[in-house]
Amino acid sequence: MSETAIVFDIQRASIHDGPGIRTTVFLKGCLLDCLWCHNPEAVSAKPQLFFHFDKCTQCGDCAKVCEEDVHHFIDGKHTIDFEKCSLCGKCVEACNYNALKIIGKELSIDEVMREVMADFDFYSNSGGGITLSGGEPLLQFSFSMELLQRCKEMGVSTCVETSGYVSEVHLWEILPVVDILLFDYKISRSDEHRNYTGVPNDSILRNLDIAYDTGIPIILRCPVVPGISDTEHHFKSIRALDEKYPNLKGIEILPYHNIGNNKRTSIGTHETLADLNSTSPEVAAQWLEQLKELGCVKARIG
Amino acid sequence: MQKVDDFSMELNFTEAYRKNKDKHIAIREARCHQAQFPAVLTEILENDRLAGRTVWGWVGFSPHNAPGGAAYGYFCHDQKIIEAIERGNIPMDQRDGVHEMLHFWKKETSKAKVEAAFTQKMLPILFRDEIVSLPYNFKPMIAQPIYRMAGVFVDYEKLLRLGIPGLIFEINDYMHKSEASGGDYQLYEGMLIALNVFIDSCSHYERQAIQKANAATDPKRKQELRKLAEVLGKNAVAKPGSFYEALQLSWLYTLICGSLELGRVDIYLGDFYCHDIDNGIITEEEALSLMHSYWRLINELFRDVDGRVIIGGRGRRNEKNADRFAFLVLETMRTYGRAILPQTTLRFYDGMNPELMEKSISLIGDGHTFPLLYNDDVLVPGVAQAHDVPTEVAEQYMPLGCGEIVIDHMGFGTPSGSLNVLKALDVTLRDGIDHISGKRLGLPTGDLKDFKTFDEFFSAFKKQLAFFIEILADHEDLEYVESGKQAPYLYLSMLYDDCLARGKAIFSGGIRYLGGSLESFGSVNAADSLTAIKKMVFDKKLISADRLVAALDNNFNGYAKEHKLLKECPKYGNDDHYADSIMVELHDFMCNNIRDQRERTNLDWYLNVLINNKQNTILGRWVGASADGRKAGREMANANTPAGGNDKKGVTALINSLVKPSHKIHAGTVQNMRFGRDFFTSDRENFEVILDTYFKKGGAQAMITVINRGDLEKALVEPEKHKDLFVRIGGFSSRYIDLPRDVQLEILSRVTY
Repeated sequence: MSETAIVFDIQRASIHDGPGIRTTVFLKGCLLDCLWCHNPEAVSAKPQLFFHFDKCTQCGDCAKVCEEDVHHFIDGKHTIDFEKCSLCGKCVEACNYNALKIIGKELSIDEVMREVMADFDFYSNSGGGITLSGGEPLLQFSFSMELLQRCKEMGVSTCVETSGYVSEVHLWEILPVVDILLFDYKISRSDEHRNYTGVPNDSILRNLDIAYDTGIPIILRCPVVPGISDTEHHFKSIRALDEKYPNLKGIEILPYHNIGNNKRTSIGTHETLADLNSTSPEVAAQWLEQLKELGCVKARIG
Repeated sequence: MQKVDDFSMELNFTEAYRKNKDKHIAIREARCHQAQFPAVLTEILENDRLAGRTVWGWVGFSPHNAPGGAAYGYFCHDQKIIEAIERGNIPMDQRDGVHEMLHFWKKETSKAKVEAAFTQKMLPILFRDEIVSLPYNFKPMIAQPIYRMAGVFVDYEKLLRLGIPGLIFEINDYMHKSEASGGDYQLYEGMLIALNVFIDSCSHYERQAIQKANAATDPKRKQELRKLAEVLGKNAVAKPGSFYEALQLSWLYTLICGSLELGRVDIYLGDFYCHDIDNGIITEEEALSLMHSYWRLINELFRDVDGRVIIGGRGRRNEKNADRFAFLVLETMRTYGRAILPQTTLRFYDGMNPELMEKSISLIGDGHTFPLLYNDDVLVPGVAQAHDVPTEVAEQYMPLGCGEIVIDHMGFGTPSGSLNVLKALDVTLRDGIDHISGKRLGLPTGDLKDFKTFDEFFSAFKKQLAFFIEILADHEDLEYVESGKQAPYLYLSMLYDDCLARGKAIFSGGIRYLGGSLESFGSVNAADSLTAIKKMVFDKKLISADRLVAALDNNFNGYAKEHKLLKECPKYGNDDHYADSIMVELHDFMCNNIRDQRERTNLDWYLNVLINNKQNTILGRWVGASADGRKAGREMANANTPAGGNDKKGVTALINSLVKPSHKIHAGTVQNMRFGRDFFTSDRENFEVILDTYFKKGGAQAMITVINRGDLEKALVEPEKHKDLFVRIGGFSSRYIDLPRDVQLEILSRVTY
């Protein structure tokens, strides 16, 4: 019996999630809820309704077919009671303007593999392959494990991007089928980590230790958010990890982008960093410079 | 340059034609050339290092649309002449003559001769007696004749090896043999007169250069002009002995023979260039200065869809020298700056000096829209099969203008007709009736609702296409036959295999391969529409036949549900089997049916080309809403490229789709790919892998542009600030701000990577 998973996107020709040309498979579900999350629609493990405000023409067709009383039109404004939605999909079908969709689809290993293998020639020429991302891919452990095993059998190189907030056992078990681990490092102080992401970082750091000791190539991925993690203290912590783990394959800083905010309202949650603009390339370059001055020669912008 | 309303050249030309009307067609043509040259050759300008500029008359002879919209062969541009009459500036003593001339050519132009010979079958289908200048086209048509003998690639190597005197010597020899054996010796006699016209033109410029040298005050310029005069003088009496002489001779011959293509310059100029550099006869700087002048002339005299300079590739006898010259071409591009012309084309193969490709990619990354990339490893075997020629002949393939493939000085193949594939589908839904004009344009094959299966419907569509293809093939055949009857095209015949040996003119049995091509437009939209019809009407039955046609008739107004369903159907360009297999089936049918026309006609090949120019937009204006979700009048997808915005799965999926249709059954397709600037800088390694993988997977050709969407959007708002923004529309490059708004928007709508 082949495993299935809730996948929210498969992005081909991806060049920023590991080396070469890759296909990134995004799985739904994450135990963290970071304030700056780019993919808030990936946090929940279940499929969910997604609403594109700009595309709505207020035609009301969705309300007509909805049996759960999810769609309301009040004072010319379309409001949605996301809680009530049963994901029947009728409103999505009824909407002629693609303003509604359901995020997350149950896919089998075979279905995902078919899409992954289509770009095989590109992987072998570029040193690329599959990147499993999310959400947190290790939460759907059996699926991830089997998918990566299949990839290895087919000669597709594998990357996994993880928050690190996962079961030690799962991490340990999956590493043999992972070629490169993309490991997030978000906030240095554990209490702050809990404030901004919902969880402390002690177990994350422990997992990093475990992974590093196996000798697997690791790229540390550090989202940098102005006002939160662009501090000297945090940069110094990054440098400290660099020193502690001299064999890190790379350190990538991921400058904040506000794309996640719009998506939050689209799934019925509140905006978090509403007033924060995306980082300019100049500021990102300054951060990189700061890190390099601290001795982080491996750092680059991801 | 605006032509003044002095018609003395045109009147002389007409007189020469009339006087020699009953003489041998070679003599008549030669006398006409005499009236035309050097009369239409204009002054050497201030920075010209090479002589040779033209302002063509409104009456004249040229294989290819000398003044735009004038057709070909013996041409007469009625519209321009009438405009001059209306301006009232024609000298008094010419007025009666001009009126009379206008009447005279009505039945005598090459185009009129072809039209007079139309068959009963052609008459209701092909339009006659009008050439609608682009971008205006006021008629919803499915099949359109095109009047031109495009894609002239004469044997430059022979020209430079023999020079004019050597050519005269050879032709003279043939003439005497022919005369002795009772052959058609007057063909050669005509050629000799034409060569004398060429010599006169060299001398004309030589005198002019001397005069200008004498008048020049700047000593450097004085020296340059003296040198130019010397070169021109040599060209008249000897074969070229230097790079400068070779370049000048090839340029003036190109101009006078009426070609708009430059061909494999690295082969024919490579040896001269290397010899002169290696022996200290010329400096790199001097060579570059001459090349800049060459570039400027091409830019000022040729039109955006022509002007192919081809470098690299298989079948170069002097590969080392040719490579060195190819680098000079790339260096010329770099230092000259972004330009619309020439359409520099890099042919490459596995094993060629990789630096040529690397330099080319850097140029593209810097915003040049050239070179265009042609993969010989796919195209040489492809051409061998499609054109049915031996491999060593296929190695001499030449993409002309917008990308139609012919064979260097051995095989001609002008595209003489275009087919609007989407419009043909439009009428297949409605029993052959065009719903815009209400007129019958196609065969009565029934309404969509009459078909029980999708296959039956697809068959009816194929029947419609086959009907138009036959007519267009017959038209191509007829165009050659009638052209051959009227003129031997002397400057072409003397430098095309095997005219001299056979004693026959190019279009009258002289040329080794006489082929042709059909430009098809809208195939991708037609394939996507078929996919949508199959899925919605026949497979899933979510939309009835009547409802679909009603939705299309109403441009989807009031049919939002249907529009959404149709747009969501699989589309070509996403590596989706359902959609791509229909594209492949349509492609195979079109290409094979067109290729089979050679059995019915005298053509050595007749092949489909899926090239692009502005026609996808222009022809799309007269096509109603289509089942792929495209709205009425909107542009059709360009060439073999997915319709704007439909390739949603990224460049790898796009490439996987692009390589599915076969390259062994057509004469050229164009694949547009646009990449953001990052791909040429920080992500260059990945970009090169993408390109390399594309070519290894069987990609034949790529037109790569680096542009970002922001640039284009800003250019729409403030055009004057974005004059440097060049975009390639596939077949050619154009200044973005000069394009019609809908073409601009179409470009903007295409996905940018």
